[in-house]
Amino acid sequence: MALTGDLTTFSFADILQVLAKDKKSGVLLVEWKDMIVAYYVKDGEVIFARPVDKVFRVYTDRNFEQLINKLRIKKEDIHKTIERFFLPRLEQKEGIFSFTPGFIKYDSDVPIRYPVEELIIRASRSLTDEEVERKISDELLIFEKAPDADEKVAKVNLTEEEKKVLSLVNGNRTVADIRKESGLDRLTVDRALYGFLAAGIIRRKRRERVQKPSITLDLLAKIIEKIKQL
Amino acid sequence: MKELKKIKIVVAGPFAAGKTQFINTVSEIKTVATERKTSGAVEKNVKDYTTVAMDFGKIRIDDEHELYLFGTPGQSRFDFMWEILGEGALGIIVLVDSTDPKTFHEARRIINFFQSRFPVPVVVGANKQDLPNAWSPEDVKFALDITEDEGIPVIPLSAKDKEDVKKTLLTLLEIIRYSLESS
Repeated sequence: MALTGDLTTFSFADILQVLAKDKKSGVLLVEWKDMIVAYYVKDGEVIFARPVDKVFRVYTDRNFEQLINKLRIKKEDIHKTIERFFLPRLEQKEGIFSFTPGFIKYDSDVPIRYPVEELIIRASRSLTDEEVERKISDELLIFEKAPDADEKVAKVNLTEEEKKVLSLVNGNRTVADIRKESGLDRLTVDRALYGFLAAGIIRRKRRERVQKPSITLDLLAKIIEKIKQL
Repeated sequence: MKELKKIKIVVAGPFAAGKTQFINTVSEIKTVATERKTSGAVEKNVKDYTTVAMDFGKIRIDDEHELYLFGTPGQSRFDFMWEILGEGALGIIVLVDSTDPKTFHEARRIINFFQSRFPVPVVVGANKQDLPNAWSPEDVKFALDITEDEGIPVIPLSAKDKEDVKKTLLTLLEIIRYSLESS
């Protein structure tokens, strides 16, 4: 099933989050105003980028090794395509994306210079006020570090501000507390939290308080039976 | 005449997620709707009428009880109604249009809203799975940041399909049963 959408309403941080969490492989096509770029994704990592004049060309080269040989790109230089066609475009908001899973065959490992966690954090640094509000929608939200947070953080070059924000995430402080205690401006804090959340470094803290349902088991069984019979 | 006791389930979700259709599909009465013509230019492009206060449908359970399905208005400017409708609900179903990723963040905001105020079981319905370009339930789950420990299942459905709607309601009711049995 293809994933399609518009970068104005679903940012790169969001797209990468979905690709990374399911460790998807395939091709992400982005139709920018000035060009179409195919981003090759392997196990949730963006490993290669190339502009294409016609979309069908992407689907004619199904073997990745053969493709980079044909394009005369050395494996150790693959990351340069990310530097040229991906990193400078993280701030651009106008484009249509479409991810098609599968169909590319990757024969061997490809060196990853820019882990997806790093790309997500970079993408989150250019989010606008309106965009960060999509995830950091409530100043009473509480986050905690994910169990594998250290492993993920090790892959990312965090700024001093981001390190400070992360150090304040402890499962007790609210977003409002972190904004206040960090001494940083609100957008910087919210961008960092957005990036950490999308990269799986932090997660929403589950509320322990669960309300006991105000109904008896007998009545519930009746409701279930009634719904089944509809 | 003896008044029937009301049991309430709330059907929430962003604008045009299919809440009214969901309720219509299983309600035993014609859904009571509070619709007005859409006013915003963007909203007009999606549908002509929208819920402004609530919709409700009902299902008679026995001689003493009725199950009410309350649909909330989708636009966040009506979120004061979410608070009113959430009070006393047995559970919440949050519908999301699987073909429209721009509404996913709003769906998460709605989940956060209800979770923080009414700690009752929540189920997400990934609606419009019958349409091309629908995101899979798994991808909707990732896009909504739903983690395993939140215990919120994402159910694929078409709100026009009675069996799909029943399956979504039954999933919520089974979570409520589990919650009752373990408390």
